[in-house]
Amino acid sequence: RTKLLTSTTRHRSTAVQLSISVTHMFFFAGGHQTCFSLFFSSQESKSFAVNMFKGQIATSQVFPFPKALNEEQEQFLRELVGPVSKFFEEVNDPAKNDALEKVEDHTMEGLKEMGAFGLQVPGDLGGLGLSNTQYARLVEIVGSHDLGVGITLGAHQSIGFKGILLFGNKAQKEKYLPKLATGENIAAFCLTEPASGSDAASIKTTAVLSPCGQYYTMNGSKIWISNGGLAEIFTVFAKTPVKDPNTGEVKDKITAFIVERSFGGVSHGPPEKKMGIKASNTAEVYFDNVRVPADCVLGEVGGGFKVAMNILNNGRFGMAAALSGTMKGVISKAVDHAANRTQFGNKIHTYGAIQEKVARMAMLHYVTESMAYMISGNMDSGAAEFQIEAAISKIFASEAAWTVTDESIQVMGGMGFMKDCGVERVMRDLRIFRIFEGTNDILRLFVALNGFQNAGNHLKSLQKALKNPIGNAGLLAGEITKRAKRFAGFSSGLTLQGSVHPELAQSGDLTVKAIEEFGAVIEELLVKHGKKIIDEQFVLKRVADCAIDLYAMVVVLSRASRSLSQGAASAQHEKMLCETWCLEAYDRILHDIKFLRSGQSKQTFKNMRAISAAMVENGGVVSPHPLGF
Amino acid sequence: MRVSRCLQRLQDLRLLRCSWQTARVLQPEPHGPRAARSNPQQHRVVRGFHCSPVFAKDPRLPGRLVGEDDKKRQTSLVAHDDLFEQIAMGAKSKATFAKVIDVFNKRDIRRRGHVEFIYAALRKMPEFGVERDLGVYNRLLDVFPKEVFVPTNFIQRMFNHYPRQQECGVQLLEQMENYGITPNVETKVLLVQIFGEKSHPMRKYQRLMYWFPKFKHLNPFPVPQQLPEDPVDLARFSLTRIANDLDAKVTVHQLPCSDVTESGEEIHRPYILGIQSPGQRELLAKHDPSRPVFVEGPFPLWLRSTCVHYYVLRADPPLPQDQVEEAYDPERSFYFPLQLDFSLDRDVWDEEGFDVEDLDEGPVYAMCMAGRGDQATLGQWISDLQRDNPVLGRVPTLFRLDPGPQHLQGGGDEESEPRHRLHVETEEDQAVLDEEPRRGRGKL
Repeated sequence: RTKLLTSTTRHRSTAVQLSISVTHMFFFAGGHQTCFSLFFSSQESKSFAVNMFKGQIATSQVFPFPKALNEEQEQFLRELVGPVSKFFEEVNDPAKNDALEKVEDHTMEGLKEMGAFGLQVPGDLGGLGLSNTQYARLVEIVGSHDLGVGITLGAHQSIGFKGILLFGNKAQKEKYLPKLATGENIAAFCLTEPASGSDAASIKTTAVLSPCGQYYTMNGSKIWISNGGLAEIFTVFAKTPVKDPNTGEVKDKITAFIVERSFGGVSHGPPEKKMGIKASNTAEVYFDNVRVPADCVLGEVGGGFKVAMNILNNGRFGMAAALSGTMKGVISKAVDHAANRTQFGNKIHTYGAIQEKVARMAMLHYVTESMAYMISGNMDSGAAEFQIEAAISKIFASEAAWTVTDESIQVMGGMGFMKDCGVERVMRDLRIFRIFEGTNDILRLFVALNGFQNAGNHLKSLQKALKNPIGNAGLLAGEITKRAKRFAGFSSGLTLQGSVHPELAQSGDLTVKAIEEFGAVIEELLVKHGKKIIDEQFVLKRVADCAIDLYAMVVVLSRASRSLSQGAASAQHEKMLCETWCLEAYDRILHDIKFLRSGQSKQTFKNMRAISAAMVENGGVVSPHPLGF
Repeated sequence: MRVSRCLQRLQDLRLLRCSWQTARVLQPEPHGPRAARSNPQQHRVVRGFHCSPVFAKDPRLPGRLVGEDDKKRQTSLVAHDDLFEQIAMGAKSKATFAKVIDVFNKRDIRRRGHVEFIYAALRKMPEFGVERDLGVYNRLLDVFPKEVFVPTNFIQRMFNHYPRQQECGVQLLEQMENYGITPNVETKVLLVQIFGEKSHPMRKYQRLMYWFPKFKHLNPFPVPQQLPEDPVDLARFSLTRIANDLDAKVTVHQLPCSDVTESGEEIHRPYILGIQSPGQRELLAKHDPSRPVFVEGPFPLWLRSTCVHYYVLRADPPLPQDQVEEAYDPERSFYFPLQLDFSLDRDVWDEEGFDVEDLDEGPVYAMCMAGRGDQATLGQWISDLQRDNPVLGRVPTLFRLDPGPQHLQGGGDEESEPRHRLHVETEEDQAVLDEEPRRGRGKL
């Protein structure tokens, strides 16, 4: 057997990959399970995104397309959708909000009356008690009309008081949630500081426990806080000295606090002037010797990091939902124009150039919408692992919405450029979505690195199994077969048959092929770089791109399969969307994989590094003007 | 194709030159230059003379030339050594070396004793400073008579044809190899003419041409052929060579100079050159002042055939209990992990219990080279370093200096200059605790 192994594992890259059903991998650092390690679970993951990095397919979360609403919930949602849409069509004036740089007062009042400020607060605490899917549906309506209002609502409930919902104790929930749910109090999420974007270590705001142990004294300032000028309740992250129970060492750790404006010492700066989402309020918030009662600690003392991570991870799916609404809105404007505008005696929609734009817009929207409801459905069904998917959806949605809006303006031509059309405002509003709550670039790292971590654990467990090949003979056999097949260019036996509707079999095959290739290249990269893969951001970016495309393929496959099996009226249209998307995504993935494997990539990355270094050295472009002056 | 054409052309040229030389040597010969120029004819003449003892005794050759040489000629190398000494007459240069070869070539049409001559020449080459001159090697090869040693039938080809000559040719190529001289196409042409296509020297040549291009630029840190003459420049070069940080800054703490004190004593101040990188400065700033730092040395550094010596300022490795690990804080980045949490084996069965790079040797804070290795000189370096590294003022400094590297200089050639010698009076292995006030004095 050893001989057989040696022959099949000629390269390290063929370090055999096994499907070990139970791998006990615990990742504790300093005795604390970190939030990242939440995803590095102790058992086989059910998440599709986690598994695709291992070259495996886990269908349980993606097939069939989750149906997250029961009869009652669906009924309730139906009753809400109508009035909310009507409200945004008739009462809210996005253009005016944008011009005033605030949400009009009567709009705010109306939203509060509708209960829009407490969508996910449990019913007994004065909210609507919506599930994630229900929430997504309503947010989608908001997003299709006015992203400025969307940010105001999102900053309030998606991140502002989400901490209280997720981590608050009973007393805290009862004290704060009723008033927050009615919109009497507005909430804000205070994490970013001038020196701290994604680096928790550079948070300067401090909270020091008083000698009596009754309250904390908080000092510091936070910038770019949405609702910072309106909020009464703040979720603030500050550094507190925490004694390590093991070593007795005192260390600064982050703690989350609920801070009321009424505590005194809380002030805010003037509203910031922004490119988009002008209707929402963004301001600096200052904490000057604020006395925060010890009861107001959210979660554990020193556990603020986990709180922040969870709030952010839980809020991301909403963004995809809102943006799918936005896309729907601008697409309808563009299609309307394309259908009615006549040039050279023909409607412009008869020209291929416009048709391609419209078709691409439709695909991007279809993918985004599918992702948003897939993830919210997973979350509602109690899945614990949706973080990679949520990050993918945020990246994809923000970029797709940007592209779609851009193309809508293009379709509309000069008309789209004019303020009156309303798409220009959407474009400005959209820009921030690629930046906030983790820029897309950083989330790409998150996606890729989490995938690598999982794949790395998997590979490690295989290496352990290989130390005792006799004991793990059965386990290794399958893996050897898989690799032999991969080496010989056969399909490794993965399949989506049975999950995917037969009419979509071809797209399903492409997806499977892409997953196999992707899993193989991930393993090659892992073996090549090991832990150091973390420093290869050029590679990570491309890996993340592949992961995003792969997940998008599976999501649309799942949704189109459902439509086909339900015999929906739009089933054939969805089939076309799905097939086209899968074909193009497959090409992109293979192109990226080929590039990563080739020697070309190394040279390209090296060049880019050098170019960038030269630019930085030169403080701008290096090449002289072609005219010489 | 190209090579063969080139070969042909060179051959023609050579024959022409050959014929001229022969012509001159055989001046009184009846078939003079004109006959020699008629190529095939002359060719055969040259070709023939080694094979036929009869021809060697040809009465047409002037007895005078041969006879004179016969008296002097001995088979020993000494004779040829003498030839070199005679002709060079003290002035040893490429020109004189070439002249010696010329003289030898002209002395005897048969090139009798050419193997001995070549061996002697090879030995003399470094003396004349032509050991790296490809042209000279080619000229030396040219001393071999052409065509004579080329096997012409299968028996010759099968056995070692003219082993002594072939060995000599190999030896010549080997010397080239040792000096890193890549042969050129002229060498090849010569070898083909002398020994034929498949001879041992030709094989040697092919091997050289296979490996040399591969190895030529293999060393990313080549030492230049000509080292700087000035000791300060040499020290600067050596220090930057040792330091692996490109940001490291060389400081000239003192240039060599002579002073006359009031008492009329002449004091020679040695040069002191130090190097320190920002990283080292940072490390030194973090040094625990209660623990001493050491000035240690001299350590040798060889640059080709030159040996220089340097000193280091270092500390003991931190005690295990003092080692604070810069632990990775998993709660550092909100959006993505900063570290991955698995370590794959390099190969499935590999164990990596040993790390060549992670050794507990203690940090090196700075390095220097000085004209003298005594404590006063090095003390001055330390006190000068103190300007940039204030922490040195609080840290006790111990001098652990070795007596010096005299024995290393024994084999040293003409480059063993006084700067490499350390004064014997340096503290022999005794560590003197040098406290702050003392250093203060040293500064004055």
